[in-house]
Amino acid sequence: MAPVPPPKRSAELARFPAEVLEAYQRYRLKGDAGAVEAVVIAAAVDYRPAASPPARGVSDETRLVEDLGYDSVAVAELVFFLEDLFEMTITNEDILAVRTIGDLRACVIRKVAAKTGAS
Amino acid sequence: MNPVVTGVGFITPIGNDRPSVEQSLRDGRHGIEHVEFLGNADLPIKVAGTVKGFQVESPKWRDWSWPSGYDIPKDVLRGLAPHGIYAICAVEQALSHAGLSASDLAGDPDTGLYCASAGSAMLLHYNLAQMRAVQGARGNPLGVVSSIAGTLNFNLAAHFRITGALCGFVSACASSSHALGYAIDDLRLGRLNRAIVVGAEELNADSLLPFAHMRALSVQSEPRMASRPFDVGRDGFVGAGGAVALILEAPAAAAKRGARPLAEAAGWGQAADGYRVAASHPEGAGLRLAMERALADAKAAPGDIDYVSAHATSTPVGDSAEALAIVRVFGSRGLHPCVGATKGLTGHTLSLSGVMQAGFCVLSITGGFMPGNPHLGVAADECEGLELPRQTVARAPARILSNSSGFGGSNVCHVFAAPNGFTG
Repeated sequence: MAPVPPPKRSAELARFPAEVLEAYQRYRLKGDAGAVEAVVIAAAVDYRPAASPPARGVSDETRLVEDLGYDSVAVAELVFFLEDLFEMTITNEDILAVRTIGDLRACVIRKVAAKTGAS
Repeated sequence: MNPVVTGVGFITPIGNDRPSVEQSLRDGRHGIEHVEFLGNADLPIKVAGTVKGFQVESPKWRDWSWPSGYDIPKDVLRGLAPHGIYAICAVEQALSHAGLSASDLAGDPDTGLYCASAGSAMLLHYNLAQMRAVQGARGNPLGVVSSIAGTLNFNLAAHFRITGALCGFVSACASSSHALGYAIDDLRLGRLNRAIVVGAEELNADSLLPFAHMRALSVQSEPRMASRPFDVGRDGFVGAGGAVALILEAPAAAAKRGARPLAEAAGWGQAADGYRVAASHPEGAGLRLAMERALADAKAAPGDIDYVSAHATSTPVGDSAEALAIVRVFGSRGLHPCVGATKGLTGHTLSLSGVMQAGFCVLSITGGFMPGNPHLGVAADECEGLELPRQTVARAPARILSNSSGFGGSNVCHVFAAPNGFTG
């Protein structure tokens, strides 16, 4: 995977833990697709509506709606954030197939890989 | 039966709570400050009626802050515009003043919400610029509900769980007077027991500078010289932001829960100029008819009015038209009620201005005073026959006529009366 330009959106990650920002920079600078996971999980926790239960022990099995209190708008917000961050497009069909953090992570990694593969 | 006002909340350039607003009105203390927009010191607009204690300049809600004591959860913030923050604070104050809590509104089919704002030009611009930067491929999912005209009613209704009437009004600077008028009508018709009327506007480059390009804004740099309604040297309005909320109730509903009526919403009227898109009829023809219709609706004669809360924004054309209309309704009959233009103190809050004046009228009635025109030096010739006190008059008005005018020649007037005959 070819290195990509320095992060345009790293300012958006300023509110996240340092290791998330580092992971994103690893992805941007070294093309480390494995680093995507940390960013996706942090974003999924961040974008949950406030009324939802506190996120503890988020795993691949954690469900966005049932466990994190997501509604359809919050899902759209999270997707917009990830699309902009990773500069790819997640379709409505993709979103409908995502129920868990694991589904989302796999979806983003697939999209990122397709993008870099095509470039 | 006419509705009564049972609560008022203020986020304004002259104060962020009822006591400080009342004190500013009594003292003639303005809330206009020096400003610089877009980092451009060369812009001719030097002052504005700023809202203090809030940080909402950023287009990103995560950057915003507001005074302590207001509860605005994250899932509300994400769809909100900056003026929505002001509005929630004003509504919370008004509910508390009325002896109500948010739980009294939630799911109550007899409570309606009537809102007015111009939307958020800043967020609209920011969100669409984001969309255009990626050639339309993506955008903020909450961009629409946070920015278009109607954002106030969408968000407040969801936040306060409104289940009665829900509507928004877009008649520019007459908008919140329309909101108030139709709320009054729904209460009079028995469709609801309670109405929340809210106006709100933000103050930033995107909301204000387009008016400079219309040549509608004052270019004075001294606040006292910039906003001086009815003055011979006035040169335009001073932009301002904020939010005001009123709680209106059917008198029986207010009495049933032991709420104190602060003022009676005695009547309202409207009429249009049929003239220009952005200039008043030179003799204020529509405004005169709107005043007469409001008086008739309130079953009041011109001689029953003690105070006229003028719309006067400090523009050459608008103030002149209003002065002539007031003279026609009152002066031509030998009547000289006190006329006060509070935009001298606040600046012009655009679609918020009608309900802001209504809130000030409630304070005048409950506090027993009539705000003056402290920035007025020499009154313009067309004000001949108007009683324009410079200082606040320490006398309680029994009835007030409050004027609003907006683009397209929309004119809306309200009559407020001391709540005689009501218990409490």
